[in-house]
Amino acid sequence: MTGPLTPIGTSLKRTDGPSKIRGLEKYAADYYPANFLWADVKRSDHPHALIKGIDLSHVRGLPGVLAVLTHEDIKGANRIGVPEMDQPVLADQKVCYKGDPVVLVLAENKAVMQEALHKIEIDYEVLPAVFDPEDALAEGAPVLHENRSGKNLLIGGAIEHGNGMEAFQVCDAIVEAEFDLPYQEHAYLETEAGIACVDDEGVLEITASTQTPWRDRNELAYALGLPVDSIRVIAPYLGGGFGGKDGITVQGLLGLAALHSNGRPVKMWTSREESFLASTKRHPGRVHYRVGCKEDGTLHAVSCRIVLDTGAYASLGGPVLALAMEHAAGAYRIPHALVEGFCVYTNNPVSGAFRGFGAPQVLAGLEQIIDMLADKIRMDRLEFRLKNVVSRGDETGCGVWMSNSTGIIPCLEKVKEHPFWVQQEEWVNQAGPFKQRGVGIAAGLQGTGYGPMVADIANAKIELLSDGHFRIYSGVADMGQGNNPTNVQIAGEVLGQAADYFELLQPDTACSLPSGSSSASRTTYTFGNALKTAATILKERILTRACNMGLGIYAEDLLLSSGKVFHLTSGREIPLANIAASMSPEERISSYAYTAPVAKHPDSAGSAIRAAGFPHRVFAFACHLARVEIDALTGEVEVCDYLAVTDAGRVLNPQIYEQQVQGGAVQGMGYALWEDFRVENGEVLTRNLASYILPTSMDVPDILSLPVETVEETGPFGMKGLGEIVINLPLPAIANGVAWALGRHIFTSPLTAERILLTMEKRQAE
Amino acid sequence: MIIHFTLNGENKNLDCAPDCRVVDLLREELGHTGTKEACGSGECGACTILVDGISKLSCLMLAAQLEGHAVTTIEGMSKGEELHPIQKSFVEKGAVQCGFCSPGMVMATADLLQRNPSPDRKEIREALSGNLCRCTGYQKIIDAVESAAAEMRDDA
Amino acid sequence: MNSIFLPYKMGDLWEVKQKDPEAIILAGGTGLLVFLREKGLHPHTIVGLENLWELKQIEMQNGEIRIGAMVTHQQLLESPVIQAQLPGLHQAVTVLGYPPIRHMGTIGGNICTASPAGDTLPSLYVLNAVAELRTPTASRLLPIQDLIKGPGQNVLGRDEILYQIRIPVPSPSAVSFYFKVGQRKALAISVCSLASMLQVAEDEQTIVDCRFAWGSVGPTIMRFPGLEKNLIGEKLSLNKLREFGQTAASMVSPITDIRGSAEYRRMLVSNLPSKMLQTL
Ligand SMILES: Cc1cc2nc3c(=O)[nH]c(=O)nc-3n(C[C@H](O)[C@H](O)[C@H](O)COP(=O)(O)OP(=O)(O)OC[C@H]3O[C@@H](n4cnc5c(N)ncnc54)[C@H](O)[C@@H]3O)c2cc1C
Ligand code: FES
Ligand code: FES
Repeated sequence: MTGPLTPIGTSLKRTDGPSKIRGLEKYAADYYPANFLWADVKRSDHPHALIKGIDLSHVRGLPGVLAVLTHEDIKGANRIGVPEMDQPVLADQKVCYKGDPVVLVLAENKAVMQEALHKIEIDYEVLPAVFDPEDALAEGAPVLHENRSGKNLLIGGAIEHGNGMEAFQVCDAIVEAEFDLPYQEHAYLETEAGIACVDDEGVLEITASTQTPWRDRNELAYALGLPVDSIRVIAPYLGGGFGGKDGITVQGLLGLAALHSNGRPVKMWTSREESFLASTKRHPGRVHYRVGCKEDGTLHAVSCRIVLDTGAYASLGGPVLALAMEHAAGAYRIPHALVEGFCVYTNNPVSGAFRGFGAPQVLAGLEQIIDMLADKIRMDRLEFRLKNVVSRGDETGCGVWMSNSTGIIPCLEKVKEHPFWVQQEEWVNQAGPFKQRGVGIAAGLQGTGYGPMVADIANAKIELLSDGHFRIYSGVADMGQGNNPTNVQIAGEVLGQAADYFELLQPDTACSLPSGSSSASRTTYTFGNALKTAATILKERILTRACNMGLGIYAEDLLLSSGKVFHLTSGREIPLANIAASMSPEERISSYAYTAPVAKHPDSAGSAIRAAGFPHRVFAFACHLARVEIDALTGEVEVCDYLAVTDAGRVLNPQIYEQQVQGGAVQGMGYALWEDFRVENGEVLTRNLASYILPTSMDVPDILSLPVETVEETGPFGMKGLGEIVINLPLPAIANGVAWALGRHIFTSPLTAERILLTMEKRQAE
Repeated sequence: MIIHFTLNGENKNLDCAPDCRVVDLLREELGHTGTKEACGSGECGACTILVDGISKLSCLMLAAQLEGHAVTTIEGMSKGEELHPIQKSFVEKGAVQCGFCSPGMVMATADLLQRNPSPDRKEIREALSGNLCRCTGYQKIIDAVESAAAEMRDDA
Repeated sequence: MNSIFLPYKMGDLWEVKQKDPEAIILAGGTGLLVFLREKGLHPHTIVGLENLWELKQIEMQNGEIRIGAMVTHQQLLESPVIQAQLPGLHQAVTVLGYPPIRHMGTIGGNICTASPAGDTLPSLYVLNAVAELRTPTASRLLPIQDLIKGPGQNVLGRDEILYQIRIPVPSPSAVSFYFKVGQRKALAISVCSLASMLQVAEDEQTIVDCRFAWGSVGPTIMRFPGLEKNLIGEKLSLNKLREFGQTAASMVSPITDIRGSAEYRRMLVSNLPSKMLQTL
């Protein structure tokens, strides 16, 4: 099979499709090495308690139990996390949430495991606990981490722009509201899984479902007290990630287990219930907005107070808050702003990275406020947005400079001319009996990459093999979004090769090169840039060598194509295998380190917030529209039609692009309408997929995706990050549609049928 | 206890524990890891297999219940490298992202197309409503089933 | 678990039961295996009914439709008899679970589970279904509402099984209806459900007979025969149905759980009768 010679821009089939669809692709959960042991943990029953004693006497001798481990068996710092290393692999002095791991057991089979976990007795001294972040900030609240000067405040700060609060005095219209945002559980289908063993050379080898193989290795070295080079982490294809595997899940426990298994491999695979209990979630939060504008519809001032609950440990709470604050003024020029943010420890389950990274929480509020403000000054909701959104060169209300491609205006214009928008009134008026309809829109943005927190680096490596094929050593995990197949497409474009001339190696710290995480809409942007250059260097080497071998005088006269090099004028060719044979092994490998640019523009945020990643430089933009219909008898909402217009730069592969948009929009609909991960007094109430309600195929419509193709000159072939922008807008777009249908906004999400019916009832009563 | 059944056309005689679930038998004993487990309690469809051609959940079946029956798993759908038309259209239409739901989706689709060779989109959505997918938003899966159905009708 | 039996003959079933009266009955397993996993239970003996042919039949006999306990939801869905004679029950199984659950799960299992959210139950209540129970030596008939005691509780004796369900064929002019509100459109446990049977006079308006049964709003399925009587002789209208729903809502005391609050459920009890007008 030969694909097009310029694969960029075409729907080249994903190279990972066939093995996955045949059931042959091995995910971390699919490894059952010979003679393996199961590893599992006993978790805390208390949200906050001192560990007074652990009685293992009934367990240690159980037949089939190979080892029972506590924090005392850990040689290293027993702390994981990034950037804050505050989470123990196994709890030592105390437990900080109901679910904290305390004792690790290695057993021959699951039945013995269950018995052993049951028989472990832990003596706790229960401590007062705190579950509401505002309470946790109050004087005298129980403190989770005594060594911290800021008590329960993980990170806090403010962004001030213009005159801040004073500016409200000259506004003609002001709207104020407080929004309650729920937890969202990633609910990837593959729960946390992996295997580990110590090989003959003493290297601890871990194959895990992880978005961060390189970071894991460093964290594991610190936590377990091993040299970095004695740890190898391999990241096969993930069965979903979405941020939930952005960091260590089972890897610390697996590593510890393998160090005590007498050389036997160990396997961990969490049950769905355990995954819900112990994995991170999207931060729940409270967002208080006040936004003011002038009579003519010019936005003038915004204030926003964000409180996020990070739970027992920091995880990525700092960067999530920084991103929430950065996105708090949306894609609008607002001259005066005051954004305050607090990310707070509580004795709840841990929150961390989740697609969107803080932006969904703030845009949910802002975009509803914008609608309310437009209504108040009787201005068309879309025109109001068009009047105020940024163009390239502008600053957002948060002082973030739009120095790069900025396509929000074309996004809004595409929606404006779409029949769903043009015919909104007619459609709403056609609602049948007991039905109420509304049309909602929302607009927003999402930064690409880490911002000025840590260097946003990818190291790509590509090799010309002796048979004339190429091998790409991926440094970033593929959790399903298709960056690995896209790598083939990028390298294929540069090297003129069809897809079947490539082999793809999944990230493996033993043979690929260090790269940042698969997250933050950066995966293809950053690694793709590195790979593009690495491939270009290799191409030059190949062509030069072909000249050396007498194919031509100038490299410009040569054309690389699948498996060979052509001389354009004479038509002569040399197989790539021959060229490979004439190169040394080192020459055949090309690698390149790319660091994504960050904004150097002076900004108004405090140093803590800047260190957590504020501000970004490259942004994706979008405008979404939802047509919703409410059943007036039951409160159920149906999203009848959905339009997503996205500026994520050039479209490298239309099919993969649509996959991201459709999947992200539906995950966002879940956040908007059904997904309500409930925690009460530190206890998870939605324990499994029966009570945590994910959208099924019956609950969602087809999504219409329209790209706006700006060219982002810093991105490979003009692209920029797409993975996250799509999840930011379904909640506000749907909420705005629902508000039209009901005649009032609901500030607490998700907008469950229950919430809607109760609201309708209240409205009738008034 | 000894059980006899066929797996993708092959006879199997196996000794297994009375409380062994079918999903564990397939994955751990027989190395057929294409059948996934994502909830263990019937709520996701990832473990769907065909028993005598009918879709069932391997996480809610005990191995003993396979006695005398014919089991088809995802590994039995393709003939070597040659994909089943359902698998082919899943790949073609971009219905596979992380792929963890895909084997279950394919098995559920096989059941559907036996019963109804020309389902419309709504019928497809109904038939797959217990197969959760967290990546695709379902749309390309529906596209793939539509196109596989057309293909299989043409071939028939 | 030490042993599992899947007998082919009733005699063999009774033998297992006699040897181990604690042996747990396995029908389709979609309830039982979930339950055992959740509670971490390992029963000593399991005896499955899946090979007992006589439990898998749907028959018409003496003006009754007899449905074997091991008839799967899928069989009900595909049965021409059920489609034609018991459209309410048919509707209930179309919204029950999803295909593999319907291929495995059985009506007997749904009844014995005795969940107030069981989707076949409200329809069986309005159909005045009767359960036939059997022991090795005897059989008895019980109206469905007498078989179910409370949430998760039935009156089956230790050596007794549910053998079949008998349903009197409803009048051809009766219209039946099942509506379920779940937290989503598919793969949903009911938050509130309503089955009804309605017979109107030839004027197409006057109600001659009616029965209503609500699910998920009490310890078992809720019926209010007294209220139903008030409707007889009335003209069918939205206002009447509203009023009827409101009165019923004042008589239920639903619980608040993870799926919905008592307040929401009460509103649904009140609103669902009006839904009938959407489908009639
Ligand atoms: C994902 C999922 C979705 C579901 N969705 C729905 C839904 O939408 N609506 C709904 O109503 N239910 C639903 N259920 C619950 C369940 O599937 C049904 O209640 C089903 O009808 C149970 O039947 P079964 O044959 O699987 O019973 P089993 O699980 O085999 O048995 C259930 C109980 O009944 C006993 N029992 C079964 N048959 C007999 C008998 N003949 N005599 C004596 N005792 C017996 C068993 O011992 C056991 O205690 C769902 C379950 C799952 C896992
Ligand atoms: S694993 Fe069987 S249905 Fe989820
Ligand atoms: S493709 Fe990932 S869950 Fe469906």
